[in-house]
Amino acid sequence: MSFKAFKRALWVYHLNTGSCNGCDIEILAVLTPRYDAERFGIMLVGSPRHADVLLVTGPVGRQMVPRLKRIYEQAPDPKMVIAIGSCGLEGGVFHESYNLAGPIDQHIPVDVYVPGCPPRPEAIIEAVVKAWVKLEKVEQGVS
Amino acid sequence: MLISEFGFAFWNPIIWLIAFIVVMAIAYLFRSRGQKQYKKDTAQTKIFLCGEEVPEAEQQHIRAHNVYWGFFETLKGYYDKVMKPHTGIVNDYMIWFIAIIAIIAIIFFIVGQV
Repeated sequence: MSFKAFKRALWVYHLNTGSCNGCDIEILAVLTPRYDAERFGIMLVGSPRHADVLLVTGPVGRQMVPRLKRIYEQAPDPKMVIAIGSCGLEGGVFHESYNLAGPIDQHIPVDVYVPGCPPRPEAIIEAVVKAWVKLEKVEQGVS
Repeated sequence: MLISEFGFAFWNPIIWLIAFIVVMAIAYLFRSRGQKQYKKDTAQTKIFLCGEEVPEAEQQHIRAHNVYWGFFETLKGYYDKVMKPHTGIVNDYMIWFIAIIAIIAIIFFIVGQV
């Protein structure tokens, strides 16, 4: 039995797979005083082993594929993956680039998609809430 | 009871011990409520190295005495070849010594004849 209060405090690991940093800046904006997601216990952590949710940005360069898969495998179950930005969804402005290995969901299962170039912080917060709802359903199914 | 006072501060080992036990109990409580669904012997229990593959245990650390690690790493091709003859066995070194002496003697003999 774990603390119920902690179940809603999602810990998030942010992985950049080759993003232009636009989405990453918006993710950081979620943590700034204007939006302040940390007041709900949603915070960025430095290791996927501590994370409930993986926030993945970028169009996935070829060199990033094994790293992306390894980081996904290292996150404990149950876990959610949120693909942030158009690049992660379908390549975005880089979609014809020779050194891309395709969208994120070709390599790891994605639970929530957030389109936008970059998406607004409100959209990212809504995605985290959707991931939290799905995570709760998964946990109820597990236990 | 052993109590030391230093102005406003004081030191009491019993109170310190009780505080230590309370803190440890709280820490244990939090730890016991942690994630238990780790899958053993999978990537979930491996060291996180920014997504990189974790190297073998003996390659994880550069030993403090090895200040020439950069040279060895850069000149790996050279050192791999040179380090093979350096077996550390005295007999091998004596064979090398005698062989080199013999080669030099032959060279001196030939040069002396000329």
